[in-house]
Amino acid sequence: MNIIETRGLTKVYGSNGNAVHALRGIDLVVGRGEYVALIGPSGSGKSTLMSILGCLDVPSGGTYALDGRQVEKLSGADLAAIRNEKIGFVFQQYNLLPRATILRNVELPMLYAGVPRKERRQRALDLLERVGIPDKANVLPGALSGGQRQRVAIARALANRPALLLADEPTGALDSKTGQEVLALFRELHAQGNTVLLVTHDPAIAATAERRVELHDGLVLRDQMEKAA
Amino acid sequence: MKTSGAFHARLLEAWIELRQNPGRSFLQALGVMLGVASVLGGFSISDSQRQQTQRVFARVGGIDKLNVMPTDTVYQGTPSALHNANLGLRLEDAVDGGKVPTAKAVNATSVIKSARARVRSEFADQERDVNGIGADYVPLNGYEVEQGRGFSAHDFATGAPVAVLGSEAASVFFPTGEIVGKPLRIGNVPVTVIGVFHEKNFRFREGQQNIFAWRNRIVAVPSLLVAARMEGDQYHRLNRVTFRVPDLKAMADFSKELSSLVTSNHRLETDFRLDDVAKRLQRQMSQGDVYNIIFMLSGVLALIGGGMVNVNIQLASLKERVREVGVKMAIGAPGKEIFKAFMTEALLLTLLGSAAGFLIGIAFSWVITKSIGVPLALAPLSFVWATLLAVVFGFLFALYPAAKASRQSPMEALRYE
Repeated sequence: MNIIETRGLTKVYGSNGNAVHALRGIDLVVGRGEYVALIGPSGSGKSTLMSILGCLDVPSGGTYALDGRQVEKLSGADLAAIRNEKIGFVFQQYNLLPRATILRNVELPMLYAGVPRKERRQRALDLLERVGIPDKANVLPGALSGGQRQRVAIARALANRPALLLADEPTGALDSKTGQEVLALFRELHAQGNTVLLVTHDPAIAATAERRVELHDGLVLRDQMEKAA
Repeated sequence: MKTSGAFHARLLEAWIELRQNPGRSFLQALGVMLGVASVLGGFSISDSQRQQTQRVFARVGGIDKLNVMPTDTVYQGTPSALHNANLGLRLEDAVDGGKVPTAKAVNATSVIKSARARVRSEFADQERDVNGIGADYVPLNGYEVEQGRGFSAHDFATGAPVAVLGSEAASVFFPTGEIVGKPLRIGNVPVTVIGVFHEKNFRFREGQQNIFAWRNRIVAVPSLLVAARMEGDQYHRLNRVTFRVPDLKAMADFSKELSSLVTSNHRLETDFRLDDVAKRLQRQMSQGDVYNIIFMLSGVLALIGGGMVNVNIQLASLKERVREVGVKMAIGAPGKEIFKAFMTEALLLTLLGSAAGFLIGIAFSWVITKSIGVPLALAPLSFVWATLLAVVFGFLFALYPAAKASRQSPMEALRYE
């Protein structure tokens, strides 16, 4: 089954007179286990598309099925549940809760999902080990380097075993060496069977994905399959 | 959303949030603290005063007394034949009063007939009020015999020439301290002193005068002695009859029956006055109410003021926390969860503020009661009220910021810089 399946997805901001058409009809299908990079200059609509694919926003028109579930008409609370269950976000600015320990940050999505306390803790510790920072569970995010913080964010994104890992410029705030390490981690996760959607404006980063979808003016300009170098 | 330890987690998070922002939290809790302190302190001070007042009433033998007193019925002009023929309040009224159906609620009766007389001992010679007393006067007025003995039923029935003195009277007429058995002359009647009452002493506040000093001046003899031998009054007229009815509701019924009985005894002339039971009932219930209302109001005002400050601080801090809220929403927190998190924080703040308010309130009322010399009384109900009000207002004022936070669009919150 396909993880992402959109048909004629449109998004219009504003009303009649000064409406901005951010998306003009996106048809996109992403299968399970794919590693896709979504690229495009600013203003191309990639942020808007990412918001809709991430269920942070709803489309103005068209349909969107995420992991077999139609989500374009869902209410805020249902969307929250979908985000919790099916999507793992990784942001450019890490977006960790600054006052909660690393462990709590990783536990948070599981808390919302109602995972029992003990299991929550065990899974969080396992995840931290998996992303390569097993010994930082009880420190605050402020004590970590950028790369480490992004690893925590990835661990958090994986907490509820999401159908889709959605990364928005995950290396944008990192130096190139650390960025490469993070990208390597994504490739590793992909190799383990995760579906990854990477949003970036950097063609070099996009080149690490096996498939590249290029947006321009709210439409898919190119959709290329290519084995990663 | 399932709630596996969710409340615990929210509480922990709220605690972390408060601890990380001590300054902001303190400002937010300040209104709660002052409100709680004001309500608790006010209630405690008024409770302390009320208890002190009740102690006074207890010392004079309780507030559950119904008094009957004679009054003048002729205000101007000359008395009619009927007026002249009436005997006024007398022992018969007291005795009959004890026989009406509702009189079973009466558990003590006292009568008094006073006279002004020259009192002489071998040491002193003074003009004094002499109290001719009967029945349960001694216990009903909170007197206790300290030396010698009190009056016996036989003394009362025969109008025996015996006297019991208050402590002041005893020290004036018998400065040597030998009192019991000594002779005393009241008017022209020679009597024997058979006992001395315990000194009555009560001060509203430390350092104030003894409000019961006059009670220690008492020279008590059987009422029949005053009526028969000093006044030559065969009808045994009285100055006052007092019935003790512990149940105030029963007192109201008894009061009605007594009133009609005495009226008929007095040939339908109302030449007597009964205490107003209804008014007393009301007073008993509303004692201190005004102060409670005032203090509760000032507490509520503090809580409202504090609540408004809270709303503003929360809204301001929301700006700092928009991103955080966005992140939580992105990883799956529904609006409801964000709402609950904010409410939990407000609740925790309110409870911590209340605890601090308790301390301030107790300290406040302690200082005030100490300064007016009244023992401090802390009623559990005051704590309940103070907390209840704080929680209600804390809850109400937390609603708006919490709702605002929970209704943000996750996408906009995430993009907020």
